[in-house]
Amino acid sequence: MDLVTKEKWDHAAAAFDLMSAYGPEKRWAPRKRELFSQMYGKVLFLAVGTGLDIQFFPSDQDITGIDISTKMLEKAQPRAAQYQGKLELLEMDVHELTLADNTFDQVFTSCTFCSVPDPIRGLEALKRVLKPGGQLCMFEHTGSHYFPFNMLLNMMTPLSRRFGPDMNRETVQNVERAGFSVTRVTNVFLDVVKMIEAEAPSSEAPA
Amino acid sequence: MEKRLYFIFGDVLSNAAIGGLAGLGAAGLVSAGWNMLIGMGIGMIVGMGVSFLALLVFCPFFGAMEVMLPTMLAGMLAGMVLGMAASMQTLGLSQAAGVGALIGIGAMLAVFMFNAKLQGEVG
Repeated sequence: MDLVTKEKWDHAAAAFDLMSAYGPEKRWAPRKRELFSQMYGKVLFLAVGTGLDIQFFPSDQDITGIDISTKMLEKAQPRAAQYQGKLELLEMDVHELTLADNTFDQVFTSCTFCSVPDPIRGLEALKRVLKPGGQLCMFEHTGSHYFPFNMLLNMMTPLSRRFGPDMNRETVQNVERAGFSVTRVTNVFLDVVKMIEAEAPSSEAPA
Repeated sequence: MEKRLYFIFGDVLSNAAIGGLAGLGAAGLVSAGWNMLIGMGIGMIVGMGVSFLALLVFCPFFGAMEVMLPTMLAGMLAGMVLGMAASMQTLGLSQAAGVGALIGIGAMLAVFMFNAKLQGEVG
């Protein structure tokens, strides 16, 4: 397990809800509900954090939520207990998923791949646990292609990554680099906050 | 586009406040007779520093990127303009704060318009 990342998010857990639970979640609520309403079958949710996204999950789903941080998961437990459906929380590093191949119909992420240290390896791990043709649905913030936002996000990243996420990730490109087919990208705020939908290959290409 | 009044109010408040504080800081630090570029540079640094306050004060109430990016732009622009202006003539602090707040609101409107252009499905 990546202990540096785990420790960073364990530290962040104390003030995470204070910074994120009200303004950001209320601002993004309609778009997250829209994205998560697509859940069906067996779902992997990465990274569940303190469980702020659980309120947006449609009821009666079969969801496995993972996170690298013990402290985050401790805060998520009461929210998970209130979920009207099956929701199992596991402590796990996306780089070292101990879940079986071809297990999930869908993987959802929410502001996750701004923080995964090796995003392509993490996305490849998600592809492995998805069934062939399975769906990847992401709500992420990324870098921008437009000045001055790209400059501002690049300037912030060396500082922000010490305490939390990177601000300038190329997540759409990383999804493609990991071998997914991107089916839809929807801008939520500028070209920075976006919903990304992609599909795992329907079967392994012949050698 | 954001249509909820609570968030529109938050956007106006945060950008006006950060613009005003950046203008105030720039005009307070830069004196008439300084090199204009130095005044502008100092104003920009002050504005960027002030805009980091937005992260702690305004983000918990009004949003993350939707607050962070416009206020950083507002702080940077207000600091640059007022830093440059303060190097050319003596500015009253209330005047600098008022002009800074207006620049902040202008920056927010520019981001609103650009955001409207980028909204929706890509490609």
